[in-house]
Amino acid sequence: MKNRLKVLRAERDWTQGDLAERLDISRQSINAIETGRYDPSLPLAFKIADLFGLAIEEIFSKGE
Amino acid sequence: MAGQDAIGWRQRPGFYVGMMLASFGAIAGLKLSGAIPAPIGFILLAGAMLWMIPLVRTGMEKQKRCGVLSPAVVRYNRRFMLASFGYMLGLGLAVWLNDRFDLAGVVAFAVALLPVIPTLGMVWTMARYLVEEEDEYLRHRAMIANLVGLGAVLSAGCFYGFLETFELVPHVPGWWAVPIWAIGMGAGQCWMALRNRERTEG
Repeated sequence: MKNRLKVLRAERDWTQGDLAERLDISRQSINAIETGRYDPSLPLAFKIADLFGLAIEEIFSKGE
Repeated sequence: MAGQDAIGWRQRPGFYVGMMLASFGAIAGLKLSGAIPAPIGFILLAGAMLWMIPLVRTGMEKQKRCGVLSPAVVRYNRRFMLASFGYMLGLGLAVWLNDRFDLAGVVAFAVALLPVIPTLGMVWTMARYLVEEEDEYLRHRAMIANLVGLGAVLSAGCFYGFLETFELVPHVPGWWAVPIWAIGMGAGQCWMALRNRERTEG
């Protein structure tokens, strides 16, 4: 699954640590999601989408 | 990474792993060569277990730097260290009692439980970690590591068991399952750490 997390984060000038803190998860989780090594669960995907004020499909999409 | 380069060897958990293994090896060498009696060997082994304290401390500092130190990890580390000390104490006591007394029946069963109970504590600690870890990625990693550990136990047990059946190797006690599980878990964590060596940032 592809995602725009890194871009969205950069637009807000947030570090991985900043985003991790806002989502209450580890920085390594953010890193794993951004680099495509881990696909988040649906509840976490919703949490990410809520934080950025976007729909899930505007952040995550099919593909490698 | 500049931050990690600046970290001295005394802040690296690998140093304490090395020191603990070297201590265990030296003590085993002394015991096997007959240079020290069993009680002294046990006291030295218990002393060598103290390497666990700086190992856990530096390990947690490293986990903090890597962004993987959740409250559940802190509890897991503390519980696992207590269980490890309990194991060494229980094992030493059980071996000492077995050497000095002709144990049988219920008493032998109770003495055998001395190292078993802390070992079950280690299994319980891992189970609690999987329940308490709220970070799904860290939980996922722990589950993968557990599966690698389980695979190691099943593979080694099956392979060695057949070698033993065909009388190619000597008998090995079943309690080896736990160290093999732990080694497998550690190998799984190392494999993931190498594969996922993150590009750190901010």
